[in-house]
Order: sequence, then C-alpha cells, then structure tokens
Amino acid sequence: MEFLDHIALGFSTALQLNNLLFCLIGVLIGTAIGVLPGIGPIPTVALLLPFTFGLDPASAMIMLAGIFYGAQYGGSTTAILVNVPGETSAVVTCIDGHEMAKQGRAGPALAIAAMSSFFAGTVATAVIVVLSIPLSILALKFTAVEYFSLLVLGLFAAVILAHGSVAKSLAMVLLGLLLGLVGIDISSGAARMTFGIPELSDGLDFVPVAMGLFGLGEIIANLERPSVRPVVSQSIRDLIPSRADLRRAFPAMVRGTAVGSLLGVLPGGGAALPPFTAYAIEKKVSRDPSRFGHGAIEGVAGPEAANNAGAQTSFIPLLTLGIPANALMALMIGALMMQGIQPGPQVMTQQPALVWGLIASMWTGNLMLLVINLPLLGIWVSMLKIPYRLLFPAIVLFCCIGTYGISNSLFNVWVMLVCAGVGYFFIKVGVEPAPLLLGLVLGPQLEENFRRAMLLADGDFTVFIRHPISAVLLAVVAALLLALLSPTLFRKRKEALAE
Amino acid sequence: MGGRKIDYPDVLFGGFLIFVAAGALAATRNLSVGTAASMGPGYFPVAISLGVMGFGLVFTARGLFKPHEGIERVQFRPLFFIIASVAVFSLLAAHFGLVVASLACVIVAGFAGREHRLIEGIAFAVVLTAFAILLFVRLLGLPIQVWPW
Repeated sequence: MEFLDHIALGFSTALQLNNLLFCLIGVLIGTAIGVLPGIGPIPTVALLLPFTFGLDPASAMIMLAGIFYGAQYGGSTTAILVNVPGETSAVVTCIDGHEMAKQGRAGPALAIAAMSSFFAGTVATAVIVVLSIPLSILALKFTAVEYFSLLVLGLFAAVILAHGSVAKSLAMVLLGLLLGLVGIDISSGAARMTFGIPELSDGLDFVPVAMGLFGLGEIIANLERPSVRPVVSQSIRDLIPSRADLRRAFPAMVRGTAVGSLLGVLPGGGAALPPFTAYAIEKKVSRDPSRFGHGAIEGVAGPEAANNAGAQTSFIPLLTLGIPANALMALMIGALMMQGIQPGPQVMTQQPALVWGLIASMWTGNLMLLVINLPLLGIWVSMLKIPYRLLFPAIVLFCCIGTYGISNSLFNVWVMLVCAGVGYFFIKVGVEPAPLLLGLVLGPQLEENFRRAMLLADGDFTVFIRHPISAVLLAVVAALLLALLSPTLFRKRKEALAE
Repeated sequence: MGGRKIDYPDVLFGGFLIFVAAGALAATRNLSVGTAASMGPGYFPVAISLGVMGFGLVFTARGLFKPHEGIERVQFRPLFFIIASVAVFSLLAAHFGLVVASLACVIVAGFAGREHRLIEGIAFAVVLTAFAILLFVRLLGLPIQVWPW
C-alpha cells in the first residue's frame, strides 16, 4: 500500500492553499502564452525561473509545470479560432479545428479540445505514478558508468526525435556541452574558457542563454515577416458537442493519449512530436479518411490528447533519472538546482513531497484548466487582438529585467544580447537551438560522470560495455544511429516530420 | 539551378562551429589534458572542441559542393533595434536605474517594428514601465535600483 501513501502525500501537498494558488498562476500564465503565437513556454519558464528562488521547491515546480501543460490548452484555442498555432504542438489542430470553426462549429471543437486534453492529462498523471517507482528503483543501482551512458542515450535520442537535420542537431549538442564547461573546473580549480571574466567563473547561466536564443532571436525573425493580424472568425455559440461528436471523438482521445504518453516518456519526447503521429494514426484508422481536413472532430481530439499527454509524461525521465527529455525539462532541472536539489533518482526518496506533490498537481491543474478555459474564452480571444507591435517590446523588456534580476548582474544581460544575435543566426541558417540548451545543462554532469567512471576503471574505455546496464544503453544508441543510416527509415522519419 | 553551387546555410553554420571550436581550443591551450585514467581540466573541453571542429569542417566542405541554397535576406531594422534596445537597457540600468532603462528599452525596441508610431511607442513605454516596476520591484521584490538617484 506504499503506492496509496504516495498518492495521499501528493494530494496533501498539491491541495495546500498556496500550492493550489501557484498551480492556478502557472496554468493561467501557461494558457495566456499558449494562446499568444510568438511566445512559447521556454522563454516564459526561463523568465520566471529567477523568481521561483524564494518559493518552496514544491510550489516552484508546480507553477513551472503548470505553464508547460497550460500552454498546450491555450495553443489549441488559437489554432481553432484563427488558424494560427499558438504553440508548435497545436500545428495539426489547425487543420481540422479551424475547418470546424469555419463551419460554425468552433464551440464543439474548443470543447472537445479541452475535454481531450483533460482526459489525456488524467491518464498521463496515472502513467507517471505507475512508471516512476520501478524506474527510480532501477536508477538507484546506477554508478557513474551507467549515468554517463544514460546521458549519452538521452542526448542522442533527443536529437534524433527532434525536428531538423540530425547531424546539425548533434553538432548543436556538442556546442552546448562545450558552453556548459565554461567556468572553474571542480576537480582541479582551473579556470576554463573564462577569458579572464570573473562573472564566468561559476559557468554560463542558462537563463540568459535560453531567453536570448528562444525569446529574442525569435522576435527578430518574426519581425522580418509581414505582420498578419489574426482575425477571429466568428462568435462562439453553443459549446456543447453533440452525441455523435462525442462518439467519434472518444476513441480518438484514447488513441491520442496512448501515443502521447508513449512518445512523451522517450528521451527527446515532449509535446511537439506526439500530435503529428496521433493525426497520422487517426487518418489511417478512419473508415473515411477523406473527411480529414474538412472538419473531422477526430483530427482535433487525437492530437490534442497526444500533446497534453506527451507534455506530462516527459516529466518521467526528469523525476526518476534526473535527465531532461527536452529543452523545457532542462530548464526544470535548472529550477531544481537553484533550489539546492541535485536532480537524480535520489530525489524521489529524499523529496517525496516535492515529487508526488508535483505529480498530483498535474491533475488538479488539468481540472482547473478544464473549468477556467471555456468560461474565460472571451478573455483569451481578446488577448489575440493585442497587436504584435505592442507585444514584442513588452517581451524584450521583461527579458531584460528578468535576466538582470537573476543575480543583480548586468553581465547576464550582455550574455542574453549575444545569444539573441546567435539565435537569430541559427534561425537564418535553419538549425534548431533546443539541443544546444540540453547540452549546456547536461555538460557538467556528463563530464563529471565520465571522469569518475574513468578514474574508477583506471582509464579503460571498455568499462562502458562491461557493465551490463551501460552496455544495453549504448547498444540502444548504436541501434538508433544504425537505424538512422538505413535509407528506408530515414525516409519514414522525414515523412513523419514533414506531415 | 544551372550548376550554381554552395549551400550557404551549411557553409555559414560550419564556419560558425569552426570559429567557436578554434576559440575554445585557444582558450584551453594552457590547461593540462592528462590521461584517460587521470584527466586534467583540459581533457573534456579539448575532446568536445575537436568534435565541434570536425562537424564544422564537414558541414563547410559538404556545403561547398551541394546545390545552391540561399539565405533569406537579412533585414537590418529588427536585428539592429532589438539588439540596441537590450544594449541600451544594460548601459542605462547600472547608473540611471530601472525607470530610465525600461523607458529607453521599450522606445528603442519599438523602432524594430515595421508599423512603428513614435507617440504610441512613448505612451506605451510609460505604461509598460509602470507595470514592470509594479510587478518586478513591488510584487516580486527584485532588489534593483529604480530611480536615477
């Protein structure tokens, strides 16, 4: 009955008044940035990170997590009403969701999107509970050798499942790892790549890097495109979906949740990939695929369930193993470290209230989203009317003040400035910046475990294949690389990502 | 494409990687590398830099022989004014406090947009600054200097 104790502990933490409040703040901010195209959860979480320092660790994580899954709810609203994805994870929702809106059925589309998200959120919370304990027990057996292999697997998988060229993403991971090494070396005390700048001796702070690359770089690129004024097509009348709608949507919801939960747990998972897969599956299993693209409700229910499930289950590797599945989880690791908690399997046993409180809060948060989302629709729609020319200076200012506030140092603002330029450059040459952030956060851990493993094995590289768990992990890496080189699979992946 | 070559995104990204790797190698040249059994502080950075360098060389070389691929034209207006607004904020915040820095930052950033209106920009800067001070200093308690004095 240990299992029930955990759940009880989780809910007793999540239902504390202040934690409920932070959860509400998180999901509200999340929905808002989800609705607004052009601001994603990554810069938002980066911006809010410094302010979580004074909070209780559980409250901080609950709020930041709420932003992530709240954004999945908000993203679909914009996708359905104005045919612009509020988030990348809502791209496929545009196809059938907006078509439904054009047919005067925006209400049912929004309602089904919210219900699918809630259903997926509930199931995903249960999946996290079931998977977390065995995984964390396994992880406690890990030594530096296994950790190194696990980190390598995580980085590789993140790259392979991400968008864009694999070779370029790998290069970005290495670049991130290199930047992660800046600062005083812990074992020898030697200053590395600090160029004599004292502010760099503690390493490069990832908050200004994330805000520069994801927040400001994006703004510069957005401003180059001609501005499109989102037009909300019509007023929303009845929200209640018909019985036929529900009958069609429910199986899609279940399939989407399964796909999302599965893809979310994988390293490199998250909210972006699952909806594409879910949409493809819906199209395949449908008896009449021609309805897709013309307002098929399954095309809303499946992907919306998938992105929310994926957003939540991507917390599993973070909570049990301490490795982030995507760039946003990398920021969550940063949030833990700022609270003085070293991420890893020991977090589960040492901070049970934090872990189980966070998991339980995902369910309460989803419930809040279901309740607040539809009645507040008017507010979200009016937010869409804010023109971008007013929005972007506000984001720039908040990024500046946010980075300045981290440690009251303007040095970080300059770091952000450089990263804004670099981020713009990355967009121009078409490389995805997310792997860099992952490398930056994991760099110090990877080096430490590698050095420790080598020290224990007396410089013998074969140690990584002599330890069975480590050998399996590296075999998976090798299999992934081989699969990538095989031409048929390569084409499949390209098709899947192109859809 | 009539024989035109050079994939510019590839070559530029490759060049960027080579530049960073070279910088990292130069910065770590005095650190001891050590052996695998007892690694010096230079071991990991040098290994990673060489990896980055390798990728850079491959992309550059490959890009030179791939079919032509251009880069969407760079527009200097947004690039310049966004970067400038951050720089202005940073330069002003230390000596003149948050109010002056925020006003200047928002006004400069406004110029980055195509449909910029100065009067609206200034009015908006005042509102936004007031809101930012309220949020960051009053509510969140950031210990930063607000006024020039």
